[in-house]
Amino acid sequence: MTEILVVDDSKVMRDMIVACLRAIPDTSFTHASSGLEAIERLSLASFDALVLDLNMPDIGGVEVLEFVRAQDTLRALPVLIVTTRGDEQSRDRVMRAGATSFLAKPFTPDAIIAEVRAILADRAEFVA
Amino acid sequence: MKLHVVFNLSGSEYALPFDSVLQMESYGGATMVPGAPAHVDGIVTVRGMVVPVLDLRIRFGLPPAALSLDTRIIVTECEGRVVALRVDSAREVLKLDVEKHQPAPSIVSERSSGFVNAVHPLGKRLLLLIDLPKLLGENSHDVQPRALPDDDGSNARPRLPS
Amino acid sequence: MTATADLKEFIAAYLVEAEEHLAVANSQLLLVERAQRDGETNPRAVRETFRSLHTIKGLSAMVGVEPVVAIAHRMENFLRDSDRSGGALPQSAIDALLAGVHAIEQRVAALSRGDDAAAPSEELLASLDSLGLAPVITPPPTAVLDLEPAMLAKLAPFEVDQLVRGIAKGQRALRAEFSPSPERAAQGLTINSVRERMAKVAEIVRVLPRAVPVTEAAPGGLCFVLILLSLASDEVIASAVGLASTSLQSIVRSRAELPPELALDAMDGLSALIVTRFRLARAIASLTERGVNTREVSEIMTDNARQLRDLRAAIVRVRMVPVSELLERIPLLVRGLQRATNRAVRLELEGGRAELDKSVSERLFPVLVHLVRNAVDHAIETPDERVRRGKPEEGLLRIVCGSHSNARLEITVSDDGRGIDRSAVSRKAGRAVPSDDAGLLDLLCIPGLSTREIVTTTSGRGMGMEIVKRTIVEELGGELEVHSQFGQGTTFTLRVPLTISIVDAFSFECGEQRFVVPVAMVDEIIEVDPDALVHVPANDDGSPAVDIISRRGVAVPMLQLAEIFRLKASRNGASKAIVVRRAGAPVAFAVDRMLGQQEVVIRPINDVLVRAPGVSGATDLGDGRPTLVLDLVALSASLNGGANLLPRA
Repeated sequence: MTEILVVDDSKVMRDMIVACLRAIPDTSFTHASSGLEAIERLSLASFDALVLDLNMPDIGGVEVLEFVRAQDTLRALPVLIVTTRGDEQSRDRVMRAGATSFLAKPFTPDAIIAEVRAILADRAEFVA
Repeated sequence: MKLHVVFNLSGSEYALPFDSVLQMESYGGATMVPGAPAHVDGIVTVRGMVVPVLDLRIRFGLPPAALSLDTRIIVTECEGRVVALRVDSAREVLKLDVEKHQPAPSIVSERSSGFVNAVHPLGKRLLLLIDLPKLLGENSHDVQPRALPDDDGSNARPRLPS
Repeated sequence: MTATADLKEFIAAYLVEAEEHLAVANSQLLLVERAQRDGETNPRAVRETFRSLHTIKGLSAMVGVEPVVAIAHRMENFLRDSDRSGGALPQSAIDALLAGVHAIEQRVAALSRGDDAAAPSEELLASLDSLGLAPVITPPPTAVLDLEPAMLAKLAPFEVDQLVRGIAKGQRALRAEFSPSPERAAQGLTINSVRERMAKVAEIVRVLPRAVPVTEAAPGGLCFVLILLSLASDEVIASAVGLASTSLQSIVRSRAELPPELALDAMDGLSALIVTRFRLARAIASLTERGVNTREVSEIMTDNARQLRDLRAAIVRVRMVPVSELLERIPLLVRGLQRATNRAVRLELEGGRAELDKSVSERLFPVLVHLVRNAVDHAIETPDERVRRGKPEEGLLRIVCGSHSNARLEITVSDDGRGIDRSAVSRKAGRAVPSDDAGLLDLLCIPGLSTREIVTTTSGRGMGMEIVKRTIVEELGGELEVHSQFGQGTTFTLRVPLTISIVDAFSFECGEQRFVVPVAMVDEIIEVDPDALVHVPANDDGSPAVDIISRRGVAVPMLQLAEIFRLKASRNGASKAIVVRRAGAPVAFAVDRMLGQQEVVIRPINDVLVRAPGVSGATDLGDGRPTLVLDLVALSASLNGGANLLPRA
């Protein structure tokens, strides 16, 4: 079972992402509505991938990413950063902070499926 | 379980929550302020602030006592006001289980003019718990001015001929 | 394999969430607007508004509602820039942003009905494109916070500002630590539940995650640090949230730890210097008495005195602000209020050149704002109503600042509006109708009393008269008066001390107690010759005896201070009298003996239990006990209620 943590403060957004990614077989999804909750969940359970929105209250996606990459256990976790058109200038910043990949809204279901498949595949190779 | 300061007044023991206490100090007297109520000794300086000293004996209707080496002032903070309470002695800080507080018997709360609102039995002792906001009460209805302007104009207050 | 998701199916859920975010944007913008009327910013609200619009844009893009994307995109760009430059919005921007929110609301409503969302007008887009910024630069004063530099660096400037202001207002600044674990989660303690419970007993400024070594207490290697402001004690907070009170720690650096250069209050340092100097002078005096040659030391002390005076002047100058600064922001405030309430108001300001201590000025400003709002919103009638009552269309609001008995500033705020309806107010409060202005003031200051049935957006919340009274009377040690005539207008009079700082004062002894009186208040100090006094015996109307002393041919009434204060009269009778002037007429106070002249630091006497007419504060003459500072002018006023002091011929 592939465990995916979906983090976005908008419930509609999370539901849309999960609806798209259900097309990938054997996936199970956990929701988190804030960066802090995401960090909490990551510290207590293990996940195979993280889909993370950039713009959130209390702690932004970049900060979550930086925190995650600083943990030994999470250094290799595949992270897909989702952001809104207009944040393109932060693409560099996000990639330097350690994102595995980057996707801008609006995206089609096919686009996000492809991205998540790609980052999961990378990891499988690494572990092997 | 909550920390309380325990102090003595004329043989009875009282308690105050520690989180309303800023400081406890020995006491050598206060500067008199004209017109202050009878139960106010005057003012002292604590941490750079000018703070009134309430003589709890007088406030409770007990006969006044002379200063001794044991006399203390407990500097309390309540609803933004800082007021020092003069007591006979204050030697203990105890952890009390607030669940064991009991309502004060009516004779106790009457005798203390309502300033004691609960009691806490502790072995053979009975601690009387102070209602701090009531004690520091601002209404001037229950306070008698000591020196300056009596409201009814009586007492030889020098009034200049008009 | 499931079919590819059709995101259009989410439109209904999108519309619901969009409405929620629009409501947030609206209320946050109104918060910014209200802060602005008080002359302040609300960077947090600006950031919240930005986030709402940013989310709306992303969602709208996903479900394909282009018109909303176009509007939201421009709004969020502007808000992001504003957030980055300090979080201030010019008034014109607030109006344009509210229009943008409304435009999005219309389109969301259309989609809910099944209609299409219309493309936004060029006009709307252009107005959003042309918004100008209002940059704010506040250097964060971090010296007072005791936090690791790494954590401090993560706080936004407005968060640091929030902490510092909270501390200044007397709140506790704390950190609480929470390490999540499976056991705690099973007990219902997660970061979300901790935050929710914490918000009930404290203001959460920021939550920072921290990696910690994996231990039994922190099995996830994670600890959340919550930065808080609260009035509650550690025990209360800990038990409300479900944490141990050991997980709480203060983050306010105590003054003792500050390096000397960073001492926040130069005045405290200076006053300590002056008290020390006074002790030094007495020590030298006692050496001289014993026959030691102290000539050289005394010369050094003279230099030192001059240096201290210069230093004091420099510091006091830095802290003193002109009254006009207080008044400067009023015209803008009134203009905004006029528009919001549909009144016409003519504002007259009379400044005077007084200077007051910065901390007095800072406390006065919100009080003035409240009185001005009350005047424009409640007191002054609409232009039509005014014309009907035979008043000029424009209401008059007059604010006058002047000196009062040398140590005080008097500010009057008067309007020619409705006046206060005493019976309505007393009915609302459930009390008897007040018979005089003092009674009316007491009534107005009852907590929670609002003189309007409907709470208007401009003056509804915020300070009440009760807080005005507390600020002026208790915090500043001043006076508050109201005078109102139903149908004609209302005048509020405030009297506050100019400084809560250092003054030159005479010290004297009376009734075996020491007192001081500011030099600036004293006209003269004269000898009392008991034989040259004229004694006016008690009258039939009950007024007691008074002495008249002749001063250069002028009769001056003389009062015995010992008698007024019920002190022990001295054996030899008073030998000196301090002459002050009240409303131009001299009054003398007889005292036992003069002690000297020195600079003293006046500390306010705040508590209501020890307020006394004629006592304007307390000082330390070097013995660690407070010595009363007397305002003899105010004392003479309180004794006589304004009547002429001299007996009628």
